[in-house]
Amino acid sequence: MSGGGGARKSVFQHATHAVLLAAFGALLFTVTRAVPEVNGGLWMITAIGFLLLAGTLTSELLAPLGLPHLTGYLIAGIASGPYVLNLVDEHTVKSLSPVNTLALALIALAGGAELDLATLRKGARGLGWAMLTQCLLVLILVTGVFLAARPFIPFARNLPFGALFGVALLWGALAVTRSPSATLGILSQTKAQGPLTNFTLGFVMASDVVVVLLVATVLGCVRPLIDPAASFSIESFKNLAHDMFGSVALGTTLGLFIAAYLKLVNRQMLVVLLVLGFGVSTVLEYLQFDTLLTFIVAGFIVRNMSSQGHKFVQYIEQTGTVVYVVFFATAGADLDVPLLKQLWPVALLMAGSRGLITFAASRMAGRLANDPPMLRKWAWSGLVSQAGLALGLAVLVAKEFPTFGPSFRALAIATVAVNEMVGPVLFKLALDRTGETSRVAAPSFSSIRPPPMPDQ
Amino acid sequence: MNAVLLLMGLLVLSYLGSFLFTGRHGAGLPSGVEYVALGFLLGPGALNMVGGDMLASFEPVVQVALGWLAFAVGLDFGYAGDKRVRFGSLLMGTVGALFTGGAVAAATWGALRLFDLGATPTDRILLAGGVGAACSETTRHAVRWVVERQKARGPLAERLNEIAHADDLLPLLAVAVLFALKPTPDVVVPLALRDWPAITVGIGLLLGGGAALLVRSELKLDETWAVLFGVTLLAIGATARLALSTLTASFFLGMAMAALSKHGRELRGMVAPTERPVLLPALLLAGAHIDFHASPKLALLAAVAIGARLVAKVVLGWLLAAVSPVARKAGGLVGLSLMSSGALAISIGLAFALRFPGWVGDTVLVIAALSATFGEFVGPARLRRSLDAAGESDAAVEQSPEGASPA
Repeated sequence: MSGGGGARKSVFQHATHAVLLAAFGALLFTVTRAVPEVNGGLWMITAIGFLLLAGTLTSELLAPLGLPHLTGYLIAGIASGPYVLNLVDEHTVKSLSPVNTLALALIALAGGAELDLATLRKGARGLGWAMLTQCLLVLILVTGVFLAARPFIPFARNLPFGALFGVALLWGALAVTRSPSATLGILSQTKAQGPLTNFTLGFVMASDVVVVLLVATVLGCVRPLIDPAASFSIESFKNLAHDMFGSVALGTTLGLFIAAYLKLVNRQMLVVLLVLGFGVSTVLEYLQFDTLLTFIVAGFIVRNMSSQGHKFVQYIEQTGTVVYVVFFATAGADLDVPLLKQLWPVALLMAGSRGLITFAASRMAGRLANDPPMLRKWAWSGLVSQAGLALGLAVLVAKEFPTFGPSFRALAIATVAVNEMVGPVLFKLALDRTGETSRVAAPSFSSIRPPPMPDQ
Repeated sequence: MNAVLLLMGLLVLSYLGSFLFTGRHGAGLPSGVEYVALGFLLGPGALNMVGGDMLASFEPVVQVALGWLAFAVGLDFGYAGDKRVRFGSLLMGTVGALFTGGAVAAATWGALRLFDLGATPTDRILLAGGVGAACSETTRHAVRWVVERQKARGPLAERLNEIAHADDLLPLLAVAVLFALKPTPDVVVPLALRDWPAITVGIGLLLGGGAALLVRSELKLDETWAVLFGVTLLAIGATARLALSTLTASFFLGMAMAALSKHGRELRGMVAPTERPVLLPALLLAGAHIDFHASPKLALLAAVAIGARLVAKVVLGWLLAAVSPVARKAGGLVGLSLMSSGALAISIGLAFALRFPGWVGDTVLVIAALSATFGEFVGPARLRRSLDAAGESDAAVEQSPEGASPA
């Protein structure tokens, strides 16, 4: 299909894809109407199957418009989801969370494995300036935008200034988050290589750690502002340190194990990845460590502390489409369309202002670091996407501050939805314009060996 | 044992299974009954490490495994290795399955009436038909298993291998018909009995045809996997929701893809290595479902069914000998070379156990497992002897003057 080096499709092929998409949808629609009662976990399987097909086909249909596959997956998910065609109902979408956990683990492993220490060192100056400006400017200016937009935000209107400032700071911290999954999804499709790719990968992966620290700090600081009865506590920082060190330690161990396995056994890696994805995610959940960080570190160790990195990346890439379609189509199906309909003007304002601030911060960092012109022009494009990390933080805020938290979360969902749709398009556009999108054809059927049989 | 541990165990088993499959000569028994036995040991019938509730929660995993296996069988149907099976072998496989399945079903029906078992005629038909369907096939792995160990080459080995690759159609059609006898009460659209099997096959063909159209264009490998997983999961989920046979729909899906796609060979190359890793967890879960107290007179019913299968295979061997001179050389009991049943038989048993919980489904599963175990004792041994007698095994070639290597 299209993407990095894919062949251009004919009108007939696109028509075939459209007809098949309609046929698969009609089949599912008929079955759901023939048996309205949902049959537990089996329906989850159907949902995964349909989302895989719908995501793949929709991305193909949108490819001539230059839109990334991720956008196709998201649109397929939204259309199939509970708020549009209801082919995949709300309960089923929620029950897909273990599959998403596995997908996220594989995405994080891939992210870590893509980070090359030597390349990171080369671009360290640019990354450092970008991290500083993006974190500070986005945090401060988005906080300011939130304060200024107070009359349009229902839950902020009646807050006293101290509390309002605290909430605005939380919003600012949330705006600093990026989307490793969207970045990797685009790179998986385009197989891009070059300075922009390296910068975006390095920045987005490193920002995961920075954002977790930043949000914990902001949470600790704003608590007394929002709730006068609360006081500043060092305890949460202790927990954070425990989580961070634990995640890094476990990730390092995991990475060394994977490297040793690749060196000594090097077979059935996909089954091993499944075992690690499910098993380690369960252990991490029990230990309350950061899943994303652990797997990023594991991938990073395999890539940089062993000679197995390229082999590992090849294995991970084999899972590519399946993992990304399931992850993003489910994210699309999970998107609260009525909420977005209700909050879209404010969400658009917040997302737009964040985009502009990200752009400005990027230009400033580019000048300070003396980056090449291409990077100065396009470095911001990969930093617009937001997804799971931002939503996770919004859930945390909703839990910590029950008075305004749920409304805060709703606005976050709507804003993230806008960034989730727009961000990947911008990043792919930048990769295409800078010529970093690969023109090399991806492996197809010709690389498959026939099954071993007795008469051969 | 909690669900995550069980899932881990299944994945580890799947991992080990992939090694057994890719070993030089493969390892384990052709039917895989040792994993059924292990599952039984862990299950509620013995050690109870995997309880009934957990088995129920794993039903989706089982359905996916069964569907994927049937899909692989469908892709491979009518092919032995890279070659299409000859028409004679296809006919022999189909007639053999019809004859064996019919004989077993008739014998089981007779035994049910004799022992006065079964509350309703429908239950009797389901049980007899289910046992017949489960006992009618010969596992595709059996011939390969013996041929690889014996280093056998020749027309008999080829013929038997082809027959084993061409006898899966009728049992799976029978399952579709039997499942239609008791439609789910959840269906709000009333349909005639004959429509349900047609819908089962239709879903498989529609999705298989669609997938074949999709993979006609130059797909990337990972996108092809997305399409394969997508259509198979959709077929499994849609048929399971309608309480139809997921096995049949997935089989026709695979068959349609192989027939309509110009990439059939490559698709088989992609899917074949996944078969064993999926099979072993499925067999383990099938074993855990086994209940030897499923019905009164279970031992007698099993003896009747297995006895009928034995007789049918002997008669089938005579038929084969009548039309094939090379089979004649192998002796009068050449039909017993096809006694090995395995993955598909146990899958049919397990599908019945899931679709008709209670004595009907459980009895079909137990008899399918016992038949596979019995076939393990008879089939490979008889096949070895037949190949020796036909002069196609390594030992036979070494003994013959032409086969002696120069000093």
